[in-house]
Amino acid sequence: MASVSFHNIYKNFGDVKVIRCISFDIQDGEFVVLVGPSGCGKSTLLRMLAGLEDISAGEIQIDGRVINEFESKDRDIAMVFQSYALYPHMTVRENMAFSLRLRKADVRTTEERVTNAARILNLDKLLDRFPRELSGGQRQRVAMGRAIVRDPKVFLFDEPLSNLDAKLRVAMRAEIKALHQRLKTTTVYVTHDQIEAMTMADRIVVMQNGIVEQIGTPLELFDRPCNLFVAQFIGSPAMNVLKGTVQGSYVHALETKWQINSNITTVSEGQQVYFGIRPSDLSLASSGIAAKVVVVEPTGAETELLLQIGEQSITLVMHGRTSVNPDDIVYLQFDPNKAHVFDLSSEQRL
Amino acid sequence: MTSWKKISSEAKLLLIGIPVLIWTLFPIYHMVLFSISPRDTATSGRIWPENPTLQNFNIVFKRDHFYLDHFWTQLGNSFVIAITVGALTLFIATSAAFAISRLKVRGGRTVMNLALVTYFIPAAFLAVPMYKTMGVYGLLNNHWALIFAMVTIASPYCIWVLKQASDKLPYELDEAARMDGATPLQLFWMVYLPLMVPSLVAVGTYALLLAWNEYLYAFLLLSKDSDVTLAVALGHFLSADDSPWELLMATGLLYALPPVAFYYIFKRYMVSGLTDGSVKS
Repeated sequence: MASVSFHNIYKNFGDVKVIRCISFDIQDGEFVVLVGPSGCGKSTLLRMLAGLEDISAGEIQIDGRVINEFESKDRDIAMVFQSYALYPHMTVRENMAFSLRLRKADVRTTEERVTNAARILNLDKLLDRFPRELSGGQRQRVAMGRAIVRDPKVFLFDEPLSNLDAKLRVAMRAEIKALHQRLKTTTVYVTHDQIEAMTMADRIVVMQNGIVEQIGTPLELFDRPCNLFVAQFIGSPAMNVLKGTVQGSYVHALETKWQINSNITTVSEGQQVYFGIRPSDLSLASSGIAAKVVVVEPTGAETELLLQIGEQSITLVMHGRTSVNPDDIVYLQFDPNKAHVFDLSSEQRL
Repeated sequence: MTSWKKISSEAKLLLIGIPVLIWTLFPIYHMVLFSISPRDTATSGRIWPENPTLQNFNIVFKRDHFYLDHFWTQLGNSFVIAITVGALTLFIATSAAFAISRLKVRGGRTVMNLALVTYFIPAAFLAVPMYKTMGVYGLLNNHWALIFAMVTIASPYCIWVLKQASDKLPYELDEAARMDGATPLQLFWMVYLPLMVPSLVAVGTYALLLAWNEYLYAFLLLSKDSDVTLAVALGHFLSADDSPWELLMATGLLYALPPVAFYYIFKRYMVSGLTDGSVKS
């Protein structure tokens, strides 16, 4: 186990600045998820920690030791790749033992560690199979087993679930989380899937265009996104965002008034803002803001309504079922405390 | 409907395949015909000899003719030279391909382009310069002269082919091995080579057969009867007016057998799909 810290990290590929001044710390035993759209630099940051990319400027420390100049193998980290990267000519056992074999560990230790990892991951019966004889989920578990046998200070995961089908992904998500709770090894996990980030992370680092937008626990990010990007990236379905003008304790948008928390003192009368409200924070009522139903999507436990006010689409998620039909007019209400307001030009939270 | 389509496409393939097959087999048929005919009926024009005989092979094995004095030595020369060329070429081409494709050494592209450029010049054009060079180093009439020449000719193509093949290996494997603590040399031996076996066999076979079949360079660089390869010795059969055609063909047939055997032995290694299951594509 170990702490990790990034200190003013830069990465350039030629003239392209991929990472621009990133600094944050990861506590011992923490599960941190780097999340962001493709090309935001999250994988690059992970690969720099892994030693697979050079660091253009700045320092990365593991347990207080600067590891910039260390070879990958001397950093005491293990990585699980998106594509599994199993050695196809070796059995599961040989794949998992490979790093120990290179370190010339004695046969008994190797056998012990491999058996142990196989038991944790439910791979006992597959040890003598080749990767080509395994399913996607099993291969991913072998890749994890290869990381576990090394008993590293830090686990790195680079989008490990994106090659799996939806059902398996959910199962593996829980498996990885359970594994972390059991081993308590510091983990850095990269994904573009915000649901993965929300469900697995102790803390989430949201990145965009090579910078960190916000760091916080999943619920912090959900409840108090610090800017419009985080607000729209975190949460599914995405937050409804309307352009409007502040009028007293309301935002005037779509020719209606949207009440905001009167405690927000950073807004001024007539200011141009974005008004944001999460689909799950809207509810149907007998009076309120009128909207036309466009699509009704029942998913069993929840129902998602796609509504329209003027030209603007609004999403609403409600528990249970509803009897409304497309083209019906419904009325919306919400708790003003749940409303988010962002400045129009800076897109920062107000 | 579909079955008609299938039949017609099969028929088209046969229409192309059968002439090609005949075209290929015809010279071989001739070779067999000559080699099993007694000397006086070899050119009789029959489709199959009246009294087929294996006597010609007996003569070859017993070296019972002026041209066959060094038959076994020359066959041995062919073997030694071909195998050495195959092995050396493999070593050079694999190292180069690994360095260029996996270690991404600087100047790799230039090496690849230069390798391609060598094929703009026909090998025959290089025969005289090569002869001069070997002379300067005092290698004429030495097997190494032919071996070096053949390695020079075979390597660029082999490097090119192996580089293409190794580019197809997933790069994540190298990264995983590096994280597991493998040095470049360990990566080469434990991950790269086992996965390259099919390409190595193909390329090694190519180099080996190139040397085995070589005539021009062998003829130029080696001159003593006991030094030349069997391919050159076969050429000597035609140096007199009364060439013993039936012995030439019998020897030629024998000379053609090792490549066939070699091909069948190594065919099973030339399989694709060795890297299945390593990464999700």
